[in-house]
Amino acid sequence: MSYVRIWLATARYSIIRTLMFRGDFFVWSLVELFWMTVNLLLVSVIYQHTESIAGWSKYEMVLLVGTSMIVQRLLMGFFWSSIFEMGRNVRTGNFDFFLAQPGNVMFMATTRKLDPDGLINSFVAGGVVIYAVRQLGLHPGVLDVALYLFMLICGLAIHYSILVLSTSLVFWLTSAQGVEGGYFTLTEFSRLPREAFKGITNTLFVWVLPVVVVSNTPARTLLHGFEWRWAVWLFVLASAWFAFTVWVFNRGLRRYASASS
Amino acid sequence: MLAALNKYRHAFLIGLQSNLVYRWNFAVRGFFSLFHLAVVFILWGAAFAGAGKIGGFDLRQTLTYFITLLVLQFFISAFNEDYQISEEIRNGLINQFLLKPINYFLYRFSIFVAARLVSGALVFIPLLIAMPILKDYMTFPIEWWRFGLAVPALLLSALIQFSIAYCFGMLTFWFLEIQGFVILSLAIETVLGGQVFPLDLLPPRVFEAAQYLPFYYQMYFPGAIITGRLNDVADISRGLAIELFWVVLLLGLGHLLWVRGLRRHTAVGG
Repeated sequence: MSYVRIWLATARYSIIRTLMFRGDFFVWSLVELFWMTVNLLLVSVIYQHTESIAGWSKYEMVLLVGTSMIVQRLLMGFFWSSIFEMGRNVRTGNFDFFLAQPGNVMFMATTRKLDPDGLINSFVAGGVVIYAVRQLGLHPGVLDVALYLFMLICGLAIHYSILVLSTSLVFWLTSAQGVEGGYFTLTEFSRLPREAFKGITNTLFVWVLPVVVVSNTPARTLLHGFEWRWAVWLFVLASAWFAFTVWVFNRGLRRYASASS
Repeated sequence: MLAALNKYRHAFLIGLQSNLVYRWNFAVRGFFSLFHLAVVFILWGAAFAGAGKIGGFDLRQTLTYFITLLVLQFFISAFNEDYQISEEIRNGLINQFLLKPINYFLYRFSIFVAARLVSGALVFIPLLIAMPILKDYMTFPIEWWRFGLAVPALLLSALIQFSIAYCFGMLTFWFLEIQGFVILSLAIETVLGGQVFPLDLLPPRVFEAAQYLPFYYQMYFPGAIITGRLNDVADISRGLAIELFWVVLLLGLGHLLWVRGLRRHTAVGG
């Protein structure tokens, strides 16, 4: 319960800060909106010239891209700034500040800042999904929608874990530069249908790094209904990745020796 | 004249050295680009499975276009020049140039040329590693006139890329934080520069309108000449004229922003 109070306090601080820099908030919201439009434009242009991509129709693809965007925007909104700063803080020694706080270090370090622009755009991404559902004439039941949301949370946990895990390398390497670019490259794969992956790419991006499963599984739930095996698989994956991340983070924490002069 | 050029030769050499320090960053960026290329291969491979040709081009021609654009990006794109200029203005480092007989634009451009030579050379490492796979998907039209037209197109593209970055950097005289504007503009440049999809796949009227914008000449125009997506010499010559017009306009705008910006600038500290 105390963690909820801590989180609410940081959320309040972040929102007040955003209200102070309203112009910045507007520009960054627009930046995210533009990049989301770029992804949808790509789908729109390709489908002007072809009927299907790996068996997915235009609006099925829009639904998939929208789902991937929701997970990405939620990650950006809730965790991105904190995790990105964590890498810098470990290098500069400012990470001491988190060690001195009375709470779990990983929680404190990765939930310190909220980006309301990312959160607002997650609603836009949600709107894209609803639009695609309507265009496809789908009528998902309450259970399907609940399961879809549950899978989005599992997906968010997987993305969070991958990002914290790669940033934790800073404990060993003292620089986590390039993690940002690496993460965005990975998310590009999550906008592709699973059926398009063959051979080594299937092994690497569907099974080893489950970025494709994260977006495809919830999208398939809305399209084809509840498939319990995939739901369980996603939950197991999310738990395993999260547990592994906590373990690596704690191992890294033992190596942290501060950097103050 | 020679003495003047000598100044920028030194700036170029310093740029070369300081960019070689970041050789691993460029190499890592090159490797990440291979992942982007993998996304392109998977997506377009799946799209072409349902249609033999898209926009009159087959899968190999389309993939060749994307591979070419990847290489060009490392040779002519502005990476973070806008940010570097912005930092120099914000931190007051620009003050030293106001007292010296050196043109700031030419100084930054010399460093830009050096940086692109380093990044351009380094992108070949990941490309050579991936070549056993890539070579089956590459097909270039062998017509020598293309190279005669591609070279000036590329040089002008590099100038457009740098000038746009320079203008954004100059905005720091008015706004302290320009990163938001830069990334916003990057989204537009990426689409209208043809990096997301070949621009000729757009509806004909939109494609024609795009040809009057500077973004078209940032990447698509030289890439399309090299890979055979543009074939009419008269059309390409007309394109070169429009490209030249944009270069002149952007150079003028950059100079105007510099002159106006300096009027607002306050150099403090000793």
